[in-house]
Amino acid sequence: MNRFNTHIIPVEFEYHEPRTIREALELLARWGEDAKILAGGTDLLVQMKMRRVEPKCVINIKRIPELDYIREGPAGVRIGAATRLRRLERSGAIKRLFPALHRAIGWMASVQVRNMATIGGNLCNASPAADTAPPLMVYGARVKLASVSGERTLPLEDFFTGPGQTAMRPGEMLTEIWIPRQPEGTGSAFIKVARTAMDLAKVNVAVALTLKGWSAFNVRIALGSVAPTPMRAREAEAALEGRPPTEGLLRRVGDIASEEIRPITDVRSTAEYRREVTKVIVADALRKALGMVRVGGGVG
Amino acid sequence: MSSSSVLEEIRRAEEFLVVGKGVWRIDALDKVTGRARFTSDFVLKDALHVRLVKSPIPHGRIIEIDAERALGLGPVRVFTAADIPGENQVGYALPDQPLLPADKVRYVGEPVALVAAPDEDLAEKAAELVEVRYEELPAVFDPLEAMERSDVLVHEDRGTNIAEMTRVRKGNVERGFEESDVVVENTYRTGHQEHAPLETEGAVAIPDTQGGVTVIASIQYPHLCQRITARVLGLPHSMVRVIQPYVGGGFGGKDDMGPVVSAMAALVAFKTGKPAVLVYSRRDSFTSTCKRDPSVVRYKTGATRDGRLKAIEVQIILDSGAYANRGPYVLWRATMHAGGPYEVPNAKVDGFLVYTNKVFEGSFRGFGNPQVQFAAESQLDELAERLGMDPLEIRLKNLLRPGSRTITDQLLESSVGIYEAVKLLGEKTGFRAKWREYRRERAGRVRRGIGIACGYHGISTSRGVPDWSNATVILGRDGSVTVETGICEIGQGSWTAHAQIAAEVLGVPVERVKVVGGTSDAPDTGATHASRGSSIGGIGVYVAAKRLRERLAEAAARLLECDPSDVEIREGRAFRRDSPDDYVEWEELVQAAYSMGYEMSATGYFFLPKGKFDMERGLGYAYPAFSYIANVAEVEVDLETGKVRVVRVWPALAAGRILNPVLVEGQIEGAIAQGMGYALTEELKFEDGRMLNPNFTDYLIPTSLDVPEVEAPIYVEDLYEYGPFGAKGVGEMALIPTPAAIMNAVKNATGVRITEIPATPEKVYFHLKEAGVVAGE
Amino acid sequence: MTEPRVIRFRLNGEWVQLGVAPNELLINVLRERLHLTGTKYWCGIGECGGCTVLLDGEPVLSCLTLAVDVDGREITTIEGLATGEDDLTPLQRAFIEEGAIQCGFCTPGFILTAQALLRENPNPTEEEIREYVRGNLCRCTGYVNIVRAIKRAASEAAKSRRPGPAAGAASG
Repeated sequence: MNRFNTHIIPVEFEYHEPRTIREALELLARWGEDAKILAGGTDLLVQMKMRRVEPKCVINIKRIPELDYIREGPAGVRIGAATRLRRLERSGAIKRLFPALHRAIGWMASVQVRNMATIGGNLCNASPAADTAPPLMVYGARVKLASVSGERTLPLEDFFTGPGQTAMRPGEMLTEIWIPRQPEGTGSAFIKVARTAMDLAKVNVAVALTLKGWSAFNVRIALGSVAPTPMRAREAEAALEGRPPTEGLLRRVGDIASEEIRPITDVRSTAEYRREVTKVIVADALRKALGMVRVGGGVG
Repeated sequence: MSSSSVLEEIRRAEEFLVVGKGVWRIDALDKVTGRARFTSDFVLKDALHVRLVKSPIPHGRIIEIDAERALGLGPVRVFTAADIPGENQVGYALPDQPLLPADKVRYVGEPVALVAAPDEDLAEKAAELVEVRYEELPAVFDPLEAMERSDVLVHEDRGTNIAEMTRVRKGNVERGFEESDVVVENTYRTGHQEHAPLETEGAVAIPDTQGGVTVIASIQYPHLCQRITARVLGLPHSMVRVIQPYVGGGFGGKDDMGPVVSAMAALVAFKTGKPAVLVYSRRDSFTSTCKRDPSVVRYKTGATRDGRLKAIEVQIILDSGAYANRGPYVLWRATMHAGGPYEVPNAKVDGFLVYTNKVFEGSFRGFGNPQVQFAAESQLDELAERLGMDPLEIRLKNLLRPGSRTITDQLLESSVGIYEAVKLLGEKTGFRAKWREYRRERAGRVRRGIGIACGYHGISTSRGVPDWSNATVILGRDGSVTVETGICEIGQGSWTAHAQIAAEVLGVPVERVKVVGGTSDAPDTGATHASRGSSIGGIGVYVAAKRLRERLAEAAARLLECDPSDVEIREGRAFRRDSPDDYVEWEELVQAAYSMGYEMSATGYFFLPKGKFDMERGLGYAYPAFSYIANVAEVEVDLETGKVRVVRVWPALAAGRILNPVLVEGQIEGAIAQGMGYALTEELKFEDGRMLNPNFTDYLIPTSLDVPEVEAPIYVEDLYEYGPFGAKGVGEMALIPTPAAIMNAVKNATGVRITEIPATPEKVYFHLKEAGVVAGE
Repeated sequence: MTEPRVIRFRLNGEWVQLGVAPNELLINVLRERLHLTGTKYWCGIGECGGCTVLLDGEPVLSCLTLAVDVDGREITTIEGLATGEDDLTPLQRAFIEEGAIQCGFCTPGFILTAQALLRENPNPTEEEIREYVRGNLCRCTGYVNIVRAIKRAASEAAKSRRPGPAAGAASG
């Protein structure tokens, strides 16, 4: 009952402020499981206040310049893991190339939190409700993980393994997110069902598709808060792939997505309601994405 | 002063210099610069930090409290019921609530012990180490079940879980229903509501050298805190001084909790001889403070074909949680307001206040009235529907007017402005046309609807219970004016209104008036609740200032060589009415009055005249007057997600004189937002008595993006004879009809009646689905 | 290394230096060590905006910021804006004029957040205002007058930016 005093941090720890990725990785290698990486702090410090995590060492990566960047290249955009959400929100490149991600970030929490929280932090918490995950998944983003022994990259979809669980190994750190440029004629959208404007998602969805002629290709649908991890609705995608997106089909795709998810009942919503609104917002998001391509028309 | 002269004075006044104007709040500068100090801003170096040890179970006997491990941590002190030197009793309406329970716990989160340590971290850790052994008892959570059971009793000594019963018996309801052409019957449910003041409950207690204690606390009634703290410590009242610093929102909760936190902090200070700081965490503020009573209201209404109400039969069940607290009074208020602001010739109302093993309930803006108005105003729309009328028409047919009688058979001679307010509101909003249009359209996925609901709220205490006002006004030799009052400033702006009243009566600029309020050093002015702060509280200021004004007029007459009745004092100058250029400056006048021997301070005690109330039949004089409100709400309902968006609200208020339009507007807008949260999103969830969402992550109060546009209010100034300048209460009003206005609009949009709030998207969605309402093409 | 570290930061225009433990929060350093109690604590988990301060001009939550983390940076609290009636900022004045204040507990956080908004976007629409301040909760006002006050401060700043009434009229 008394383990909740959010006024102080009742945990003592060693504090480090590395200036390079190398230094940070060495600290991680030295401290292993006892270390926690502090990026924005909006999640970690809350967890520490509630003593859900009690690290012996905190490694603040905010002062590592090589983790804070948005670089637009010919194949896509590279984002440093410690880039703050607010910077992404204000980035012209993100808004232009990845509107669903832009929308998802703008919808998150408050401006204060977005000034603090980082994209890497949002992904590493691996919350089933993480708002940046579904858009990044539909854009086919990859993440780069580094440790003292080297680097590897993997698709974001493979990064999440369970609630709060990721594919990161001890000593590894997320350093970069890469998002490929989308083909011409691609539309994408993000929708969240929340209880108030500041609320965590009850369900969130991102979609992307490419319109060729009358038909939709490369259909991707990703959902949050409806399973232990953010997930792709592959059967729903397949139902639309290569076919003309008629109103009836869009609704059917929503229904299929609703069957694919594995929602639970919690304090925010019942599983039943999550299934119902999934139908609606998947179809809504698809309509929105299609609307974007059609408006963009010849330009996109 | 006789009451009739006050009234005459008000009626004579044609223009005011200060009253009725949107003058700057007197606390505004402190608040925008960050200088305003709230309880937790009084940081004392050697203070002990106090934390609560709370019950993890809903019902059980306390077998043993073992503090050994906690005490082993360092300079820690632990206090339990056994340490209370005076009476371990903080119950308000009934003596059923200990400060710290000695024998058993009755809800999850009940404070069982207090832990004090020199720093917060240590206090927190020590609190965790206090081991309390319980023998768990079966618990009861549902009030309908609790009413029927005698095997599980929240309070064994009472022999029942029913804490209080109330009734109204007016006319003959059987006959009333026989004479009715239509009868509508429904059951309505409302949930808990947490006050969620931004500042949590807290108190700083400082022992003094004479064995007493000074308490700085977040409160709504200093003299009540004084009485209860003194009772717990076994001290004379005079040994406890209570001071209210700035308070970060009250809404009623701090009226109930102020004395509790004051007594807790004072107990530690008293026993240790050191200052003690107790500030509830947000979680404590959720789990361990009173809430708005959840309710079940069964409501039967009958009317004739032409829309005249004939009879109501109402059963009100309020879930009081573990203690009665203010519940009996909340229930009385609910009972006597059950008819809504309408003429109802026959009424039968029964109220039950029921104990359950959940956090206790208490005062909250509206005080039992929002629950019954939600039912009464929903009923009226249902009745209109059956009669083929529109909601405006049925209301205009039945609204109270001067000369009407309430359901307690109280005659309302004057100050009944609701009919005019509703009429104006209907015209301003184009209600009828919109209501018909939305009802006819009902197509597509997002449906628009408009709804109206009214409310009324008796000012002052219920049932002729004595009520009074008081204040001291002191003129300094430099001409400065000090008003001392027990009324608290909790954000509503009463001190500003008091300054305006004093300035208007005395004839000085408002900047010269300083208000010292919220302290037990001032006269007992009663609580800052029941929308009485500026209205009833202001009467004392008015009366005291009037006494000084009379003395000053005499003094001025001697200086100006005229009759006192020819003296005018305004804008800081005294002059003969017929020669304004020949004047005496205010400072000179005050100094002269001092040297002539006039007493330059005065108190303004005023005892509110009241009639008799018959408790057996629930008939008679319920309140000295009522304030009235009507809200029109326009909503959009997304049929596919169940989300209700309140687009716009138009309020109309009949609360006598509007002393300060900026303050009044602020009260209305805030109340509408709070009422909208109550109606749509604010929901406390429990599992076996344990609160599942004691935080703002999952208890959702409206944000800047969720609230509706609020149109400029319509004011009908139906002056009240004993109010200062004719003012009645405002603070609670606009919340009362808000849930019903929204749900009536939802009905207009969808054709579906929602009888349970909060109407979360999920609830609305499944209701609509069940009713077969789907988005058309 | 859990022992105090010495940090130096600019607070309301002046450099301060003090030793802090790694687990000390900025809000507690401001309130308890530096006695700047205008910054308010009320939820501790990032849901309310009450503890907002400006970090290098941008609004952040001081209850979720480690004090060690502000070393070398600039912090503005409500106390840094004005000392009295004479030097009130246009926002502070507008909050008073529009009745945007009731209990006052959320006021410092709102004023600082709004200040950052107007710096980023001197002429925001009502929707942009509501979006920007949505993380600052208020339980008293229903936000109506707060939004109005921010609008008023913006339009007054715009007026004072214009070269003169004649030029303003000419440019429409």
